[in-house]
Amino acid sequence: MISVTPSNAQTEALDLENLSAEQTALEIRDLNLHYGEAQALYNIDMTIPKNRVTAFIGPSGCGKSTLLRCINRMNDLVDICKVNGEIRLHDKNIYDKDVDVAELRRRIGMVFQRPNPFPKSIYENVVYGLRLQGINDRRRLDEIVERSLKGAALWDEVKDRLNESAFGLSGGQQQRLVIARAIAIEPEILLLDEPTSALDPISTLTIEELITELKEQFTVVIVTHNMQQAARVSDQTAFMYMGKLIEYADTNTLFTTPGKKQTEDYITGRYG
Amino acid sequence: MKDWFKTGRPWIWLTAGAVSVSLIAVLGLLALIAWRGLSFFWPAEIHEIQVQASDGSTKTVIGELYDTEEVPMERLAESGIVLENYSEETLERWLLKVGNREYVPLDFMWIMKPQIVADAKPLDVAKIERSKNGNFYGYITDVLEQGESVFNTSPEQSELREELAQRIERVLDINDQAEDLQNSEIGAINYRLNQLRLERRALALKEQLTDSEEQRIAAEEAQLRADYKVLEEELFAMREEASRDSIVVRDMRGMDVTIPMYRVLDVTFPNDMGAIAKVGYFFSQIGNFVSENPREANTEGGVFPAIFGTVFMVLLMSVIVTPFGVVAAIYLHEYAGKNPVTRLIRIAVINLAGVPSIVYGVFGLGFFVYMVGGSLDQIFYPEALPSPTFGTPGVMWSAITLAILTLPVVIVSTEEGLSRIPSSLREGSLALGATKAETLWRIIIPMASPAIMTGLILAVARAAGEVAPLMLVGVVKSAPMLPVDGNFPYFHLDRKFMHLGFHIYDVGFQSPNVEAARPLVYATSFLLVTVIVGLNLTAISVRNHLREKYRSLEH
Repeated sequence: MISVTPSNAQTEALDLENLSAEQTALEIRDLNLHYGEAQALYNIDMTIPKNRVTAFIGPSGCGKSTLLRCINRMNDLVDICKVNGEIRLHDKNIYDKDVDVAELRRRIGMVFQRPNPFPKSIYENVVYGLRLQGINDRRRLDEIVERSLKGAALWDEVKDRLNESAFGLSGGQQQRLVIARAIAIEPEILLLDEPTSALDPISTLTIEELITELKEQFTVVIVTHNMQQAARVSDQTAFMYMGKLIEYADTNTLFTTPGKKQTEDYITGRYG
Repeated sequence: MKDWFKTGRPWIWLTAGAVSVSLIAVLGLLALIAWRGLSFFWPAEIHEIQVQASDGSTKTVIGELYDTEEVPMERLAESGIVLENYSEETLERWLLKVGNREYVPLDFMWIMKPQIVADAKPLDVAKIERSKNGNFYGYITDVLEQGESVFNTSPEQSELREELAQRIERVLDINDQAEDLQNSEIGAINYRLNQLRLERRALALKEQLTDSEEQRIAAEEAQLRADYKVLEEELFAMREEASRDSIVVRDMRGMDVTIPMYRVLDVTFPNDMGAIAKVGYFFSQIGNFVSENPREANTEGGVFPAIFGTVFMVLLMSVIVTPFGVVAAIYLHEYAGKNPVTRLIRIAVINLAGVPSIVYGVFGLGFFVYMVGGSLDQIFYPEALPSPTFGTPGVMWSAITLAILTLPVVIVSTEEGLSRIPSSLREGSLALGATKAETLWRIIIPMASPAIMTGLILAVARAAGEVAPLMLVGVVKSAPMLPVDGNFPYFHLDRKFMHLGFHIYDVGFQSPNVEAARPLVYATSFLLVTVIVGLNLTAISVRNHLREKYRSLEH
């Protein structure tokens, strides 16, 4: 049995069923998703609180990444993907016809499994999103680059080589650069899709510390297959299995007194 | 033996053998055309040969040894040549280039080796390159100014050469100036006069030719004609100057021949050259070959217009095919739905690459030249009709025809490049709020640029060597003007042009002087290969630079 010791005792538990409007970042209502004929998500219903870290855990293929990619409509890229239901951001369904997807993704940033810096300099990587918005004032860009890189705990390592290619960085540094790039455009929500799965343990630790700091400013949603990681960084955890949301609770509660048999089996390592 | 097969050795030998054969084939081909092409520029020694004919009479032959070959006696007997006192099976014969075209029936002559009585290489024999009638071989005996000898007594050889060198330099200078005058200033006046003629015609067609307009045009024409007169006089004065001197040469018949110096391009004494002088001559000949205009129905002189035409046409084609191909590939790969229709279009595009190139030529002639060009003439150049402007083969139609020919190559390799870009980069860009178009412009196309360059390299390699379609849509044996010159608008895309590939065909198969043309075929082929390799190396270095810049993450 894996011993899991939740260390996130400093945040108090919230009543996830009845969050007030100020406390809510995102509401997912009755979400179903089909890939062609196959259904990948079944009636997902959850509320993600503001300025907190929410983790999705579950075995491979359980739909946790798919759910995450619904939140910023990344699944639109898949032709055969059909989404039913609602995801409400500020009481507005992001799947409505009149939603500007690019604008939505500006407000909901995302970091992927593998670091994916652009083939540009470190500086240009960070300002990419800003240049898209037409911000080209050098002084303002410089300021944001410094702030974002500091926010991603990378500034000290790269401040002297901002104009060098981003490919010269190590994997962990690249991943932090990608996080800096995402927070440079100041999104409300930051989605992290297994951000440490391609990294070594030390880089993983740095990123985990970073996630805890990031929630001061952003609402963080993280997908991880690593239960210890979920326990270490998240405030509440959702356990998914076979496209269904099995249990969604405060992290402490979920890991210490799981409400469902399946959850208990999974976190004690009986399957998955 | 069975064990040996099991080790896989034979397989290695087989594959390595295939590589070796290809390598030998390529290198052998290059070596052959390089050797035969370049040896043409090396100064050949001039032989003075005494030949005894079968009736016992002897005569002198002066000329460059061009070729030797062994012929079976039977063949000679069949063509009616009988040699007495000769019983071998085969016979060696020499091909001499004797020049002096206006005095001998053929400037190449076969000589049977057994008939040669004496063979010498006298130091004083000169090779005189002329702008008309080819080379002249003989002994220079005198230099004339206004028909009078410049020497009081019969001159020493060294004096003669010195005097000659100075005077040739002077005449060449004058000739250069005259040519400049004719091409630039007189050419510009002629061009302008033609423009005025067309302007008047255009106004007349639109019925806007008022008296004031007419007067303005007439005044300008009168001014140009006056300028022309002045320049023409200047030109005549130069010609007069140039024809002051002449040289007297004793040819192989023993006769003195006077050659006007303005016809002389160069006088050399190949038998009297040291190794260094020969190397110098070799390179200067190559320089002349690539920088001069052809003379004498392309059998003499250089190939500069053909090099220029080839490179210009290929560059124009690249400028046309790259944006078209890239845009088409982007649509096919990024926007078109993944359905049978798209697949069908893709297959059709790929199959276009297999259409024989002459078919593109026919298409280019029928569609571009006659239909599009004809309509352009109707709309934009009615004043020049019935003589066509774009409704006739020209460099633009050639470039467009070849662009269509090479379009599949660019599309296919661009699509491959697009599909090699990791989807994580697209997603990364989209997740930062970029639209699909922004992602394409800022990330995808720059990263696909090495693949686009690869497509362009293949396109250039194919287009630069293509001749057949060009014969229908714009190439000519001899173009009077380059497609780029100093007259506004500087690029004259309606003009016909010369092309190295066609030049090879023309010199090799259409030449009136077969023997003179043969080395030119090799030299031009070598040059064509060099030009294509040069274009490709440029493109490859650009691609490598881009690759280095966008070296993708190797996950």
